[in-house]
Amino acid sequence: MTMSNLDRRDFLKVLGISGAAATLAGCGHTSIESGVEEVMSYVNPQDFVVPGIGVFYASTCAQCGSGCGIMGKVREGRVLKLEGNPESGISGGKICGLGQAGVQAHYNPDRLRTPLYQGEGGLTPVSWEKAYQILEERLGPKSPLKGEQIAFLTGGVSGHQRVLLENFLETFDSTHHVAYDALSTATGRAASKAILGAEQPLWNIHKARLIVSFGNDFLGNGVSPVYMARQYALFRKAPRGTLIQIEPRMTLTGGNADRWYPIKPGTEGILALGIAHDLLQHEEFSKGVPQEVLDLVKNYDRDAVSDITGIGSDAVRLIAAQLWNNSPSLVIAGPSVEGHSYGFSNAAAVQLLNVILGNRGKTMEGQSEHPFPQLAPVLGSYQALADLNQKMAAGQTQALLIYGTNPVFTAPSPLPFAESMSKVPFKVAFVTHMDETAGHCDLILPLLSALEDFGSHVAEYQPDGVEVMLQQPLMEKLYPESKGYGDILLSVLKKRKPEVYAGFPDYYSYLKTAVVKAKPVFKVSDSDDHFWEDALRNGLVKWDGKPTPLESKLPVLTMPKPAELATDYPFYFVPSIRPDMRDGRHAYLPWLQESPETMTTVVWDSWVEMHPKMAEAMQIKEGDILQIQSATGSVRAKAYLFPGIQPDTVSMPLGQGHTQLGRFATGVGVNPYKILDPIFDVHTGELAMHATRVAVRKTGEHQMIVKDEGPTAFQGGQKLVATLSADQTKLSKEI
Amino acid sequence: MSLSNLIQNWNSFRTRRPYEGQYDEAPYKWAMVIDLDSCIGCNACTVACYAENNLPVVGKERFGKGQAMHWIRIERYWGADEAKATEFPERGAEYLPMLCQQCEAAPCEPVCPVGATHHSPDGLNTQVYNRCVGSRYCSANCPYKVRYFNWWNYPDQAWPNPLELQLNPDVTVRSKGVMEKCTFCVQRLRAGMDKAKTEGRILADGEVLTACAQACPTSAITFGNWADKKSKVARMWKNQQVNLAKNSQEKSEEGIRGYRILEDLNTYPSIVYLERLRNLEA
Repeated sequence: MTMSNLDRRDFLKVLGISGAAATLAGCGHTSIESGVEEVMSYVNPQDFVVPGIGVFYASTCAQCGSGCGIMGKVREGRVLKLEGNPESGISGGKICGLGQAGVQAHYNPDRLRTPLYQGEGGLTPVSWEKAYQILEERLGPKSPLKGEQIAFLTGGVSGHQRVLLENFLETFDSTHHVAYDALSTATGRAASKAILGAEQPLWNIHKARLIVSFGNDFLGNGVSPVYMARQYALFRKAPRGTLIQIEPRMTLTGGNADRWYPIKPGTEGILALGIAHDLLQHEEFSKGVPQEVLDLVKNYDRDAVSDITGIGSDAVRLIAAQLWNNSPSLVIAGPSVEGHSYGFSNAAAVQLLNVILGNRGKTMEGQSEHPFPQLAPVLGSYQALADLNQKMAAGQTQALLIYGTNPVFTAPSPLPFAESMSKVPFKVAFVTHMDETAGHCDLILPLLSALEDFGSHVAEYQPDGVEVMLQQPLMEKLYPESKGYGDILLSVLKKRKPEVYAGFPDYYSYLKTAVVKAKPVFKVSDSDDHFWEDALRNGLVKWDGKPTPLESKLPVLTMPKPAELATDYPFYFVPSIRPDMRDGRHAYLPWLQESPETMTTVVWDSWVEMHPKMAEAMQIKEGDILQIQSATGSVRAKAYLFPGIQPDTVSMPLGQGHTQLGRFATGVGVNPYKILDPIFDVHTGELAMHATRVAVRKTGEHQMIVKDEGPTAFQGGQKLVATLSADQTKLSKEI
Repeated sequence: MSLSNLIQNWNSFRTRRPYEGQYDEAPYKWAMVIDLDSCIGCNACTVACYAENNLPVVGKERFGKGQAMHWIRIERYWGADEAKATEFPERGAEYLPMLCQQCEAAPCEPVCPVGATHHSPDGLNTQVYNRCVGSRYCSANCPYKVRYFNWWNYPDQAWPNPLELQLNPDVTVRSKGVMEKCTFCVQRLRAGMDKAKTEGRILADGEVLTACAQACPTSAITFGNWADKKSKVARMWKNQQVNLAKNSQEKSEEGIRGYRILEDLNTYPSIVYLERLRNLEA
């Protein structure tokens, strides 16, 4: 059927059951903007429309890149609540707090409702006709731009949004897609690739008897927190696996460890080599290990390692002994390992343990082959942004399109992205909210929310085969003057290459055509329409793949010893990642602002974590306002005394300190990105986020810290949280 | 239950529960098990509760005054006593999801001057908003501190347009002067029980879940019908040797993890917690 002459709402009707969600949801909802109440007659309702009864429709969570399948409860035209979709191998019917808050992203009062244009009279609302006219002038068929004159800056992006973006750039003979992630894991992925042969291997957490995690908060904000949490639950059932966490600042995952070790930041690789040194004393592990590795570890005996890392030599022996006794184990590295100038070596040394322990093929496997590599996610890096910044500053970039990233907020001060933007003549932001970066753009386009738009997502971490996750509207759009990212790109593409794109009236038809065309890969014999309806109803199409073997090698590593703390900056600085705020993009969600950060229970604020012993020595009390000064800049925030931190370290959470992003985000806390020193990993060029050192100064001011915990963090003789030694209980007899 | 009935039969309301065999004939008794070894402290449950139950966001200033409205919260402890305050928490943190324990002998119930909080036949400690006059005696009497008072008229301020479109139509939006608390998602239970009744049956195990249990990524929260002896929650209570009608539990052997918080206060909670485990050899 041709759909070219149908409007958006009409073509949603052709979707069958699932698409009918969108049609149903559309009823009456144009009234939100206009203030006109429409009464919808239920005299002749469709079969599944019962007033007062919610109906669930499948979609995909777009709050982070994990690609969890979700279900939205839709009732009387409104999406009310999100749950996990049991069909999804990633979410398995579960959902995190960040995902739940997706409805608040959708109904957020500070969403952008019309296009804005930075004209002579400042930023003014314009019509879509005008916005498209500007886009056509600058980027239409007559645009002379070529190659790297145009840049498309995004966060991590996958699925057909990625395909369309690359197709768009191709019409300019450009491949200049710049993916930036403020919390990039590029260094860790490179180290994993070098040692294990895969950037992100599959972790069979539930098969491990022992997990040793060096700063990887896999339960809070790793590569796929909901999936990892589900696996972790299995891991803790009989026979219960043991978790050891080694990190300078206790993460959510660290709080769940059987044993938690505070380590001096940046010495994780040395500890790993010390553990390797112990293990390689045994022939079982040392046989087949190249001489270079034996030579490397020979200087790292327990006492030497203990001096550098602050982890006692008994503890080094104990960790090695447990790895020896509990096979298969799983050793993983996280941001606190990667974030140093030698972060690559640090992470590689940690991964080396997996090779020595023979964990490959047991608790670690390669991900399945990808049937659609062009849909796989492009993951962001800092290096990409730094390169772009250089080109922009040199005046080489004529047009910049920005989607799903906010570098003006997240880039450290030494990278003056806003200043470089002023040298680009034409900047377009695709956003749902006015953020710090959009504030520097010429044309700001209001996007549909993730609950109003179509899309497809392919997660970085694919636990079983490959799932292409489908996102569909759960209700009609709230604001008539907002448009889908895909629809906007497509309309420009139709001007540039009508012979290819004229047949697609909108992104939906493009997506449907693309997915249906891929049908043979999924080996189903259904009709095209059935296949598509099933895909939308399930929220995904799944390709059965098998894990692949990991090819590992043992490259020669050099492991520098971190410099001692200097007197002018006597503290290590650890920027912590909140599971709900991530890089700061979710600070506009009131549920998350009011959700106490689990480790500290602080809400609506930034704070400085300091060990109680150090605070006592410096005569600092909770709520004292401290100035945290690095070589690059300074911020002020309240002290919070936190026992889960290495004493020479102070830590602040990332994500707050917005100057734009709506009423719930602006003016809350401070932005620690801006005091990070420009230190880079020598191997990958990534920003070394854990390498900054700071001075802590008391300002003499004091304010009450707003937190959920009571006057004491101790149980005071009550049996509130009771703890039992794991060997005293018989988990296998439990239900 | 009229007020005069309540006053006349005060003692019977107060002393009748719990007793052995109380729910033997009842179709439903809602109960929960929370495994503290599975709970990772992620706050999925708490946000799910905000979404399901129309909990208002109160903002920093009011939160600082203790006016937060979180029906379920994650308490985080660092150990038994202050003597450890300067040491490292080498066994991790202690996370405790704390919500209304739906006590069988709830201390909040007898002190309500207007019968706004009372016990339902299916074992819920309910709060009737339009009876509540805001005396706050119930909150003062709750040892778990899980009752929340509306100091402000949140319908006017907590959901700037269009956030109010997310509100769950099945749940009352509470106004100023009213006490509120976890209901075990009574709107879900009610809808499910009514549907089952229409179909002439009892709800199947797992057919209705509270929002927190449904979201929990580690399935640390098990919710169900305790009166159905085949339900998972009832089997877990039995397996953990927790007797609903007793205020201290006799265990046949060491290492059985189930316990109820502040049980010695004779509250007879409907939530069993399973002790957190740690491998102390690590």
